[in-house]
Amino acid sequence: MVIVKRKELSFWERLYLPEVVRGLSVTMRAIFRRKITRQYPEEPLATNEVTRGQPRLAVNEDDTIRCVSCGLCEIACPAYAITIDGQETDRFIEREPERFDIDMLRCILCGFCEEACPKDAIFMSEELELADFSREALVYDIEKLKRPISALQRRSDYVYKLNDRWHSSSSTS
Amino acid sequence: MTTIQINGKDVEVDPKQPLIHALHTNGCDVPMYCYHPGLSPVGSCRICQVEVQQGEGPSRVVVSCRTPVADGMRVFPDSEKAHDVRRECLEFLLKNHPLDCPICDKAGECDLQDYSFAEGQGEGRSVEPRRKLEKRKSLGDVIVLDEERCILCSRCVRFMEEVPKTPQLTVADLGARSVIATFMDRPLTGKYQGNLADVCPVGALTLSAFRFQARVWNLTKTTGTCGECSRGCSVTTEVLRGGELKRFRPRYNADVNTWWMCDVGRFAIEEHSLEGRLVGALVRGSRELEPADPFDAIDRAADVFTAPGHPVVIASPWLTVEEGERLRDLAEALGSEVHFLSPPANDLADDLLHTGDPCPNRRGLEGLGFSPIDAEAALELLSGATSALICGERIGALLGEGLGELPEKLRLVVLDTMPLDVPAVRAELGVPSSIERTGTWINVDGHAGKLGIARSAPPGVAPLVQTLDDLVARLSTTATAGGER
Repeated sequence: MVIVKRKELSFWERLYLPEVVRGLSVTMRAIFRRKITRQYPEEPLATNEVTRGQPRLAVNEDDTIRCVSCGLCEIACPAYAITIDGQETDRFIEREPERFDIDMLRCILCGFCEEACPKDAIFMSEELELADFSREALVYDIEKLKRPISALQRRSDYVYKLNDRWHSSSSTS
Repeated sequence: MTTIQINGKDVEVDPKQPLIHALHTNGCDVPMYCYHPGLSPVGSCRICQVEVQQGEGPSRVVVSCRTPVADGMRVFPDSEKAHDVRRECLEFLLKNHPLDCPICDKAGECDLQDYSFAEGQGEGRSVEPRRKLEKRKSLGDVIVLDEERCILCSRCVRFMEEVPKTPQLTVADLGARSVIATFMDRPLTGKYQGNLADVCPVGALTLSAFRFQARVWNLTKTTGTCGECSRGCSVTTEVLRGGELKRFRPRYNADVNTWWMCDVGRFAIEEHSLEGRLVGALVRGSRELEPADPFDAIDRAADVFTAPGHPVVIASPWLTVEEGERLRDLAEALGSEVHFLSPPANDLADDLLHTGDPCPNRRGLEGLGFSPIDAEAALELLSGATSALICGERIGALLGEGLGELPEKLRLVVLDTMPLDVPAVRAELGVPSSIERTGTWINVDGHAGKLGIARSAPPGVAPLVQTLDDLVARLSTTATAGGER
């Protein structure tokens, strides 16, 4: 057992009031300094083009989905979060997804799907929040994943720059 | 045998086969598009070129599929010259080939894709636009042609001429305008069209039934045997994500089907559908059939069979030899004779593969001493009996509507893939379909075809072998218990 001896307080310390004033002066200084506390969730988190949020499917201006259900994101996904079934369409590019599910609980936001996509159809969006009352509701289907390309433009531009890809959005005939 | 030198190593090769065969059998992976071991070589794609030196003369580059082997030939399939020539060929083949891989059904098993990945350039050098041709031209009910993807290897043309001997396809027009076509755009006919999608080295000819159904790398491939006729073609069973059967493809078997299979077997997908399958077991309650534990269902079946009299036993023609042996044991314990249902021969027989006999294991079951019986005779036999066992895949469907008219005094035990709701049924147990179990079928020529487990059976469905064993064990315990009493 060790006996710790308390420090004897000096006279000024025993007076108590000067120490209160000293403490309040720290508070007063902090009030006028730049605030670093974020008022989340009232204030959303700041994002930029490097933010890797949840993956979303890009939809062109003419309401057609870019995805052709080639399955490369599905096979690239290290967490097996993606499941795709294809179907035929009358459009020029004959194939589109019939089912495109991302299990958001499995998704680890690694961005491999974005990297694998040959059609620039899937991008890591700036959406970060994920909460619901059941696991089933967090398996997002195609309707929940669709976003107009304008919403993903910043990330899309960044990815083009990053990969030094050619600028045209379509890489096939 | 002829002796040639491949990469400086002496090898013995078959003089009747072209050089490319010698290279492939000796571990040289020379690419090929127009050459197919089952078809006559034409040497139109030029991708199989290798460097060959004979005697003391300078070396030449030859197409290995059209070059016969000769004694003393020295072959350099991997020399720089050979690679350069092949790379140039590839560039021409890719000149007009669209960058369709993301939507192409062949992607993942495409020879052109594989070799382009291994050897091709990262970027094309040509500035001219690619050919624009028809991308979804229907060639009948089975095949869809994408003219842009075609590299004009003419395998499909030769297949139609040489294998089913019904020439219907041709290379129409000349030069850069060449396309694969049928006469006056007539649809293809015949029972072997499905093979066209297999022989096509690129994604030009695809099955309309498989179009955009799955990416091939997601399919689990298991070796199996086709059960649609007594030929028993060796097949690969391809299942998507452990559930849905997506396609059958022929598997090379020199003794049975070589490289081919007929469309009847290839498109027998519905027969293995998981929809409406009998899951677990059903037993007759006070009135209705109710879901039950499989063990209770076996008890109920044993109760049916311990009553006096010899039950009628009718087996499905899809029963394997192993299951047949267990059924024979059971029938011996019951003192019954086993019949197997043998539907009449259909009119699908041809002189290539299809035998017209829908029983894939006729020889195996007859070898076990089972006697063939047609549906009418089987129903007559059943209506005269007091208890019966009908057993095996699709047996209910084969016996047909007549089952509903069987008298209620007949106590029927059913082991089938599909539930059967007729008044005579007392107990019912699920069995696996032929892509969900192992076993052997003996084909029309006595060749043993192995079944493989491509996916697990529905929940609560035990292998038929196990169900029959349990039933025999249950019957023997009841017999001894009854003897002691």
